[in-house]
Amino acid sequence: MTDDGYIDYFATLGLDASANPGEVKNHYRKRMKALVNEIASTALTPAKQEAYLLQIAEMNAAFYILRDEERRQKYESDRAGTIALEEEWRAAVESGSEKSDNLRRQYEGALKHFLAAYMEEYVLEAGRDKECVENSHWDPSHERHASRVLRHHRQRLYQKIHERLPYYEITPPTINWDERARVVASTLAAKG
Amino acid sequence: MFGKKKTETKRPVGQADIDACLAKAVAQGDMVNLKFAFTPNSPLRDESPEVLDTAKYAYLRPSDADRGGAYDQALALVSRPEIQQHHVTQLKAKRPAQLHADVVMALADNAVRLEKFTVAAQAYEMLRIRERMREEYAAQAEAALDQGDLNTAVRGFRIATGLSYDYAAFPEPMPLVPNYQSRALMLHAIYPKRPEDSIALLPPERQIPAALNYLLLDPELAARLREKPADVLVNFIAEYVRQRDPQWDEFVKRYREACEIVRDIGEKMKGIADQKQEQGAKLREEIALQELGVDPKEVPAKLLGRSIEPGDWWQYLKDLVYQHPASVLFVTRQMVTRDIEIVMPRFYQNAPLGRALGLFD
Repeated sequence: MTDDGYIDYFATLGLDASANPGEVKNHYRKRMKALVNEIASTALTPAKQEAYLLQIAEMNAAFYILRDEERRQKYESDRAGTIALEEEWRAAVESGSEKSDNLRRQYEGALKHFLAAYMEEYVLEAGRDKECVENSHWDPSHERHASRVLRHHRQRLYQKIHERLPYYEITPPTINWDERARVVASTLAAKG
Repeated sequence: MFGKKKTETKRPVGQADIDACLAKAVAQGDMVNLKFAFTPNSPLRDESPEVLDTAKYAYLRPSDADRGGAYDQALALVSRPEIQQHHVTQLKAKRPAQLHADVVMALADNAVRLEKFTVAAQAYEMLRIRERMREEYAAQAEAALDQGDLNTAVRGFRIATGLSYDYAAFPEPMPLVPNYQSRALMLHAIYPKRPEDSIALLPPERQIPAALNYLLLDPELAARLREKPADVLVNFIAEYVRQRDPQWDEFVKRYREACEIVRDIGEKMKGIADQKQEQGAKLREEIALQELGVDPKEVPAKLLGRSIEPGDWWQYLKDLVYQHPASVLFVTRQMVTRDIEIVMPRFYQNAPLGRALGLFD
């Protein structure tokens, strides 16, 4: 089983899944302080700026979700549910079950919901939380930039997960990259 | 009297017809038709009420002009026994069809050849090789550029750009589209308070990267090229513009004619613009305009080949870019009076990009 691509907010704060709210708070503050100091002493390029923005946004979201019992439980159950659906779908594909198409649709819906909620909506919501704002110095200008960065990141995560899923629209391809390179060369030469 | 209407039984669709229709879709890089062939109401399905041998579906069948070359290759592919068998199974199954990967690959390659980049990007994406194919095209194009083969290099980068995806698109990532009309407005959104703020008058070290970013659409590919020597980039951009815009020479002709007008009235026009802040300037503007002898609005009219409503500089730029994407790199917005703003050609002597593109000697 792989949970790669399903954002793990415990890992973001360097915690294990049994961490209590006090530990969540301590880890968040310590890590955010270190990150803010690191940013202050770094020459920022556009790429670095985006990476830091994403790091801050993720840490804020991790703190915002994990410190609240209700949000934390929902996050844990949504994440576990999506991973379980992926497994179920894979198993159905491997066994050639007729349920596989239905499971795929369910999984696609769950995955899109999970990424939209936990990689965008909660992250932006966290940026307006008083405690997060105090610690991360997050302000509306960050949010404006972050919306684009988060959407980009969310799509990348989706792609990453999508890459390892069973093929359903087409049969699994066999790619010969030497042959592909020759196709590219001949396409380029054709209009030379 | 009320007996059942006699229904005609549909003649089963022959394998040769199925192969011919699929081969046509593959050869033409037509993903819509390929997918349609397997939908529940496709005329290729025996249980579908739709009939292939009608004028309605003539577009699915190859004409004599379609045969040969890519079509013959596609026909050989879809006639392979294992692919035929796969298609027969899919056309009988009562669930969403699964396309054969080899067929999708051939369709994608043909789409690239025909410059249907959006289709190619989507087909490669289905195969999960889009990014690597984009990289392969960019790498071979870069190697060609290093060897001085401009034509191949430009074509390679154009294809690589066509295979790029816009991950920030909402709600889902989609192929990068040449949205020059929006990009042109961004280039000219802020009125240049000083002439040198205009993109047309930027020094080469700033104008060339700006032109690359604008034309290539994909910032990653543009960044890859920025490291090359300036003279290589100038020639690359010139070739890129000509490949993307086969009518470029038409714009060059109009640009030069517009320059002639500007040359005649430029100094006088500047005088009007300089005095416009003063009190009572309105009347003086009117008189000066009459003394010009030429209506300044003739400049943008000459440049575009037709006039456009005054004040609609943004619409003017969109129209200009629609015809010649690179044109906006060599023009600037200019207030003539408080009420008249025109778009006019602007360049400085020895500007390498404009010279390489034949805009001036």
